Amino acid sequence: MIEHLPVLLVVLPIVGGSIPLVASLVSERAGWPVATLTLIGQASLAGLLAWTVSTSGTVSYAVGGFAAPYGIELVVDGLSGAVALFVAVVSLGVLAYARQAGPHSSAFYGLYLLLVAGLTGMTVTGDVFNLYVFLEITGLAAYGLVASGRDASAAVAALKYLIIGTVGASLYLLGVGYLLAATGTLNMADLATKLGEMAAYDSTLVLTAFGLMVGGLTVKVALFPLHTWQPDAYANAPDTVSAFISALVSTVSAYALARLLFSVFTVEFLTAVPVARWALVGLACVSIIAGSALAVSQDSVQRMLAYSSVSQFGLVVAGFAIATPLAVVGATVHLLGHAVMKGGLFAATGVIERKTGATTVNGYAGMGSRVPLSAFCFAVLSLAMVGVPPAVGFVGKWYIVLGAVSAGNWPVVAVLLASTLLTLAYFARLVERLYFAEATIHSEEGLSEEAPVTDGSGQAVSFGMIAVVVIAAALAVALTAAVPAFEQVLRETLPQLLTQ
Amino acid sequence: MTDISSLRPLLAILVSAVAIPVILSLKRRPNVREGVTITVAVAKFAIVASMVPGVLSGTRYVFSFGQLATGIELAFRVDPLGLLFGLLASLLWIVTSFYSIGYMRGLDEHAQTRYFASFAASLASAVGVAFASNLLTLFVCYELLTVSTYPLVTHDETDEARAAGRKYLAYTFGGGVAVLGGTVLVFVLAGTTAFTPGGLEGLATADPTLARAAFALLAAGFGVKAALMPMHSWLPDAMVAPTPVSGLLHAVAVVKSGVFGIARVVLDVYGTGTMEQLGVGLPLAAIAAFTLLTASIIALRQDNLKRRLAYSTISQLSYIVLGLGLLHGQALTGGLLHIPAHAFMKLTLFFCAGAIHVETHTDDISDMAGIGKRMPLTMAAFAVAAAGMAGIPLVAGFVSKWYLVIGALSLDGGLVFAAALLVSGVLNIAYFWPIVYQAYFESPDGHDEKPLLEGPLGGRDEVRADGGDGHESDDADDHSDEGGVPKPEHVDHLGKHHENHEHHGGPPAGGWDDRGWRGGESTWFMLGPILTAATLSLLLGTVPYTAVFLRIVDTIVSNLPGVMA
Repeated sequence: MIEHLPVLLVVLPIVGGSIPLVASLVSERAGWPVATLTLIGQASLAGLLAWTVSTSGTVSYAVGGFAAPYGIELVVDGLSGAVALFVAVVSLGVLAYARQAGPHSSAFYGLYLLLVAGLTGMTVTGDVFNLYVFLEITGLAAYGLVASGRDASAAVAALKYLIIGTVGASLYLLGVGYLLAATGTLNMADLATKLGEMAAYDSTLVLTAFGLMVGGLTVKVALFPLHTWQPDAYANAPDTVSAFISALVSTVSAYALARLLFSVFTVEFLTAVPVARWALVGLACVSIIAGSALAVSQDSVQRMLAYSSVSQFGLVVAGFAIATPLAVVGATVHLLGHAVMKGGLFAATGVIERKTGATTVNGYAGMGSRVPLSAFCFAVLSLAMVGVPPAVGFVGKWYIVLGAVSAGNWPVVAVLLASTLLTLAYFARLVERLYFAEATIHSEEGLSEEAPVTDGSGQAVSFGMIAVVVIAAALAVALTAAVPAFEQVLRETLPQLLTQ
Repeated sequence: MTDISSLRPLLAILVSAVAIPVILSLKRRPNVREGVTITVAVAKFAIVASMVPGVLSGTRYVFSFGQLATGIELAFRVDPLGLLFGLLASLLWIVTSFYSIGYMRGLDEHAQTRYFASFAASLASAVGVAFASNLLTLFVCYELLTVSTYPLVTHDETDEARAAGRKYLAYTFGGGVAVLGGTVLVFVLAGTTAFTPGGLEGLATADPTLARAAFALLAAGFGVKAALMPMHSWLPDAMVAPTPVSGLLHAVAVVKSGVFGIARVVLDVYGTGTMEQLGVGLPLAAIAAFTLLTASIIALRQDNLKRRLAYSTISQLSYIVLGLGLLHGQALTGGLLHIPAHAFMKLTLFFCAGAIHVETHTDDISDMAGIGKRMPLTMAAFAVAAAGMAGIPLVAGFVSKWYLVIGALSLDGGLVFAAALLVSGVLNIAYFWPIVYQAYFESPDGHDEKPLLEGPLGGRDEVRADGGDGHESDDADDHSDEGGVPKPEHVDHLGKHHENHEHHGGPPAGGWDDRGWRGGESTWFMLGPILTAATLSLLLGTVPYTAVFLRIVDTIVSNLPGVMA
């Protein structure tokens, strides 16, 4: 079974995702238990796989026994093993939140598991077309999840996401097509060797392919100016979905971008065509600044968090594009750390909205005393995002800045350092409102069991929901201790990635 | 210099960090809560003081969490310089805690639990800054200090408090970003950020432009908290905080951490040799001298006592930075000694201002004529501390200033700096003496004019840029707060719970009543700390060596390679 681990990791959630639909014939609420069982299995398998990779090196698997480069190959190295495990664990964590909060329909859990399948597939694949397939699976499941909200605005947001996401995926597919035309292969490792030989790095064909593929993935990562689907999707989706998608979908898309940069185009390409590297870095820096500027002007907290993601992913992509070992370690640490922090923040907003009805920055005023635990976790997560040490948000930034300084790229260093202040600009006012301002939303007196829930206040908040928030906040600080071990794992993978 | 591994540095930091949840849980039992604060403060001081004999004899206490990541090693090491700051912070926290009890209860303040918990957090971070053994650990504790002191600055929860808090965060995080940039550069240039007496070798041999850039970043970043101009303006606005917080910010934790950071950079990251080689000492000293004089001049025009003290602080901190920038033995001694000297004196002054506020609700100097009758002990302590600020013998400020001036004079071209110091001394007298004089020798009915305060800028005749009609002179606004919103500089402390409070300071009708010299003027919770701080200033001024601080400073300077003491 160990040999089949990579494919099992993808097959399990697909199979698991079809069960709730069948089980709904028997029971309406079968979705959650099925999803939990499946994901526990997923997490165990992913853990096993990650351990195998860390002890015996990169694992390759030919799907269906068809050998590469004609068959689909799944490749798991230190980086993808870590990300696959991360996806499994975070999905399981968000389930704890979804038990009380999320939509309870079986269709929802079916889509949930399908999304996990898509994300895991994107992580473990070693074939660029296969990546497209899983990218689309991820996209479709995500569109469906976003649309599962109750309001019409959720449907509109999902439609917007669908259109823009499909455009992005199509761009990526076009790029794949050009690569196929240039080299005749779709396998990543094969492409890496053939790209330099069969088509020159600075030929129009290869450059176009690069531009299209990176452009397509940047839509999914939601960098400025291709981010427009994200604020609507995050703000209008159910809270569970916002937490889940914000933590994982853009994260895995950014991982795919890194995989593309290092395993397909390789650092040689980036060195041979400096324009490509610096264009990507420039785009990332613009995203950092623009995302923060847009976040400051937001009134709704969830939209603000969405724009914050735009800014933070700029940081991550900048780290990947600088492409030195230090910078890549930093970008990965920040990628995963950000996922935890952003997921926790969305979960916290969900809890606060249910308990108090507050959704806007002004509405959060004075909530430090009404929802003390959630507000405190929110404050801790905000400070972690700003980059106050010793939280994990600082460590990623430190590495990326270190990488940028070692590369001698001073404008980027300035933007990276400024990002701390920019992030502070929009988070500090929330923390200030929480604790140091008078409340604008007052609790209704004599809230009875049957009180109408017109503004969302008074809906039950389960222990699981609060536990997710608290654990996210604790992890935001505690993960710093795990960074040395993680760096070790990455350092074994990176030399192959960065010196090909 | 022997390094021994010990838990004491970590314990000194954690003892108050651990107290935070305890304090937060004691909201309903204020006396126990205050008891916890005092116990923890005494414990902290005891731990730090226990390290003094060892450090003076050449031992350094080390505790390390190990290498967490490339370039990130969280480690603490108690050496003489760290001990100087740590001892100061922990000693003054005890004094401030007693004073806080008197102040907060005297004003019946809200959110006292948050206040005391934030204090505990701030002191933990401050001692962390003191004992950090490399730039990165110092940065971590520096940022945590910002986060812990923010709730104290915004304590009042009024619009001005929030605005001051925002400004504070913007400035201090901006400084933190500069420090981070400088730290990264130093790490890349030298391969390590650990503090090494005499400086890191890698910096001596690195590209001078990069080394200078790193120094500029570090000096600017720490200079924000050290209130070097032009990054000083957060400090007067932060006066909106409760007075013990202003005392903490201005004497103990925040500003001294900025100055301490600069000291570490000058002495243990770059070292005096590299500093001279790069030629960055002189610009630093020049900025310090400029700040010295300008802040003193601005202070002349402040009517609100706390704002005047704020500008005085900005000025006095630059004494320390000037000493550091001059890079030579006696100037260094003077600068470093001024860290505790100024702390004791400024804390006394702020405590006096706070006591005056609590007892009489007076914040403006123009309302304080004759107040020596009402608060004789307080004004006596004020007089002593003010004398020390000006550099009058017997008080702490004289000793440090002596070393500074002698050190400056012994350098080529140091005459300018010595002159600046002496002029500043005169300016100090100019803005402190009237307060003391009018307190004892004048009365509310018969007091002299204060042209520096009341006169319009530009002279007696109205000078209008547009040459318009002569209006009523501007200085009428300075004193009228009837019917209008009081100007920010006149408002010490309009907490949201005090909105309805009549905030006219000044003597009651019939003049100040006489409270005598036996302590009837205020509670001993406030008088005790005031007199303690004043006594400490006198002790440091008369027996600086026995009062251990000068001995510590001498140890620091004698350990620096290549510096003549």
